Amino acid sequence: MAADLELLQGTLDLMVLKALTWGPMHGYAVARWVRETTDDDLRIEEGALYTSLHRMERRGWVAAEWGLSDNNRRAKFYQLTAAGRRELRAQSTAFSRYATALFKVLQTA
Amino acid sequence: MTRWPGLRRVFRLGRAADVEREVEEELQLHLDLAAADLVARGLAPSDARREAERRFGDVASARRRLVAIGRDRTRMERRADWWGALRQDLGYAARGLRLRPGFALAVVLTLGLGIGANATMFGIVDRLLLRPPAYLAHPERVNRVWFIRNFDGKPFPNVNTSYRRYLDVRKMTASFDVVAVFLDPSLAVGSGAAAQEEHVLGVSASYWRLFDMRPELGRFFTEDEDREPTGTTVAVLGYDYWRTRYGARRDVLGSALRVGERDYTVIGVAPPGFMGTAMGAAALILPITATVAETGTPPQRLRTYSWQWPQVFVRRREGVSVAAATADLTLMYERSYAQQVAENPHSLPLALARPRAVAAPVLRDRGPGGSDESKVAVWLVGVAAIVLIIACANVGNLLLARAFGRRREIAVRLALGISRTRLLVQLLTESVLLAALGGAAGLLVAQWGGGILRTALLPDVDWASVISDPRVLAFGAVVALAAGLLAGLAPALHAGRSDVAPALRAGVREGTYYRSRLRAALLVAQGALSVVLLVGAGLFVKSFNKVRAVRLGFDANRLLWVSPVMRGVELPPGDSVALRDRLAARALTVPGVTRSARGITVPFYTQWNFNIVVPGLDTAYLNHLGTMQLQAVSAGYFETMGTRVLRGRPLLEADRAGAAPVVVVSQELARALWKTADPIGRCLKIGADTAPCRTVVGVTEGIKMQDFRDSEDPGLSYYLPLAQWRPGFGGVFVRTRGEAGALADPVRRALQQEMPGAAYVTVRPLADIVGENMQQWDLGATMFTVFGVLALVVAAVGLYSVTAYGVAQRTHELGVRVALGAERRDLVRLVLGEGLRLSAAALGLGLAAALVAGRYVAPLLFQTSPRDPLVLGAVAALLFLTSVAASALPALRASRVDPNRALRDE
Repeated sequence: MAADLELLQGTLDLMVLKALTWGPMHGYAVARWVRETTDDDLRIEEGALYTSLHRMERRGWVAAEWGLSDNNRRAKFYQLTAAGRRELRAQSTAFSRYATALFKVLQTA
Repeated sequence: MTRWPGLRRVFRLGRAADVEREVEEELQLHLDLAAADLVARGLAPSDARREAERRFGDVASARRRLVAIGRDRTRMERRADWWGALRQDLGYAARGLRLRPGFALAVVLTLGLGIGANATMFGIVDRLLLRPPAYLAHPERVNRVWFIRNFDGKPFPNVNTSYRRYLDVRKMTASFDVVAVFLDPSLAVGSGAAAQEEHVLGVSASYWRLFDMRPELGRFFTEDEDREPTGTTVAVLGYDYWRTRYGARRDVLGSALRVGERDYTVIGVAPPGFMGTAMGAAALILPITATVAETGTPPQRLRTYSWQWPQVFVRRREGVSVAAATADLTLMYERSYAQQVAENPHSLPLALARPRAVAAPVLRDRGPGGSDESKVAVWLVGVAAIVLIIACANVGNLLLARAFGRRREIAVRLALGISRTRLLVQLLTESVLLAALGGAAGLLVAQWGGGILRTALLPDVDWASVISDPRVLAFGAVVALAAGLLAGLAPALHAGRSDVAPALRAGVREGTYYRSRLRAALLVAQGALSVVLLVGAGLFVKSFNKVRAVRLGFDANRLLWVSPVMRGVELPPGDSVALRDRLAARALTVPGVTRSARGITVPFYTQWNFNIVVPGLDTAYLNHLGTMQLQAVSAGYFETMGTRVLRGRPLLEADRAGAAPVVVVSQELARALWKTADPIGRCLKIGADTAPCRTVVGVTEGIKMQDFRDSEDPGLSYYLPLAQWRPGFGGVFVRTRGEAGALADPVRRALQQEMPGAAYVTVRPLADIVGENMQQWDLGATMFTVFGVLALVVAAVGLYSVTAYGVAQRTHELGVRVALGAERRDLVRLVLGEGLRLSAAALGLGLAAALVAGRYVAPLLFQTSPRDPLVLGAVAALLFLTSVAASALPALRASRVDPNRALRDE
């Protein structure tokens, strides 16, 4: 778990931002989306997702608003801001380039 | 951050408790939803809850982290909101000002002049009265000692005392851990062509202990190097002198430098900004015993009480109060004075002199005998403050007028839901922005205008540039802020009160003419304050003219004083007489010089007081008469000076050494000694009863030797033939055909050729020497006039703008009046009358205030009553003319109102 986390630290923000491209969602929805999309392979500690969300809120990449969840409870909804969208584009480009390069190295071996 | 600004404000996470609650709510929701999902997949509710928490990780630490982030975010948001609002307000204010550049310029200039005047005066007073000397250690315990003696029943405070007295302070007091002595003469420094008179400090070794500082280089001198009779020839360089003369070279230590008549070894450099207790930076600091020797004073005079030049500074021991120190000093002075009387029986007896000493503040001008310049300066601070208040009132008035013009705009904004607080903040932002611009303009005014003023009026002080003086800058900023708030207050309050509905309803015509009592009051206040300042200006100008018109008894404008500086060039007594005679003769060869004569004392510069003895009059009576001035002169002296000989004859070539001893006395002295009897042929002895009788051969008019006031300088002088007194002393008076100043340099160049070796001559126009003593009135006249005219202009602009604005607002009403048959003349009278009514109120108030203030300013005036009717009348006329001029243009505009257009403008 600890090793997994370290691997994920840099990409956690990226995943959260990606999740929010589907529209405003509350924290649990983000966690569920990540788990389902990764088939639970990454086993992300959900507390870390919240840290990422709040940090990005402070940096202005996501904006938060209180609204009602499906079962009518007050929930904090997160939504991408323009800055967040820019950040997502930049980070995903950088990450794909990094991943491609890494694959090239691994395949030559 | 800008995406949902409105919503963010709605959900503002203001308090710490809110942040915690929201984090808690969010986490609970998460865990509940997760558990519900698990239950849906078939887990038992209790297991589901545990599984949800396991998947979440450490809930407690996550909660802490989230709360910390949340609080941080709230803080940032709040700050951003604040800046955002400020930026918005500033932007709004700046746009408003750009639309009305004339208005903005008027306000900025008005405030700039007001703030500039205050920054200048603060800078001056700060140096004279507030700021302790740089590097002074424990400034609260350091005192300057003043010695006060009664003379003729009146106390005369003096900072200057004798070196002998300083030794007594050291010996006879116990209240101090430092007793130091200080002297600041000008001495010739350097040799050959580089020789120049420099400001030098001569101090005791203990003086260094008053300060908390390290030398920039080398060391300061020690007690061993400051011993009588003539000290050790070591010198500490002033920082600036070291930089300019030595290029800040560090190998300067150990080098030799000629000061006065001896070579000194440089042992150290003082730190930057060190001026000691003087007002200007010194080139050198020397042991006082050595310094005294360079001034040409015989070392044995250090042991007398009569050589009074040095100043004494003390630092009280911890726990010793000022009162205790003063008591200790007074006790010392009484003993010391008793000793003085014992050594010199001619001194005023102890019972009459009533000697007492005071531990006063270090800054000289805060002591009991502070200079009149500083008293005038304190007055001028009040004057500058009044100018600023006038400026604020005027700006407030302009802003108020503007606010009336914007009533509809403000009403619309209020109707649209802006809060009154927000509106107030916006209006104040506008006036503070104006004040900030005014402050910047003010500092420029202080930098350029003030710089000229300060060096012209107090040239002996080293002034720091305003821009680089943090104290003046801070003062300027505070004044600007206060001015902005003050000026913005009235319009802001007014706007805050305004009603929405009537303003919106009133339509294009902006409602009926609104006579604001507040604005009228502001105008009257401005006018009244200008009157006060103008009266002050008139009084000082009159004093200054009176001082200049005082019959001095000599023609200051047409005289030069030539003084030879020998610098150790030793001449046999006969040669030094011959040299001075040659100087007097050589001066006559310079074109434009008409006469020359020798003398040993100079009015307003050096005095020589000697006891006289008159057969038949007792010493006590003579002492009570006042200071008698001795002058020894060559033949032709009275013609050269322009002093009239009233009876008998002047001193002649024939009154040479060995001839019958003679004397010429002033009319005032003759009257004091012999009343109405004929003084010619009487006997007068100089020094002691044993001296030979000198026969009075002539009587001259009295001359002013030290003060323009008859009460302070009764003009008691007597003249001896130089050949019979100190033939090798003194210098030469040179009389010119025109203004003497222009000939100073040609005379100096011609006479320099007569000087042997390193010796040289200094030449000073007598008008400069006398002028320095007129500074108090000059300062008052210049500053009051500048400020008074400034105030009047500001008040006139205020009256004009308010009247003009009133006429513009009343166009409709005036149109109706014309339509109903009013004549143009009536309209002019209507508008002018209003301006004049305000001026009359201002004049009444202002004159009353000036009469009250006059009582306090009276001691600073010269032969001028503070109720001088001419001055008061002139000010009244000036104010009347100004108010007519200020309302004339609007009145004319009112008379040209076209009733058709005015009424159509609905």
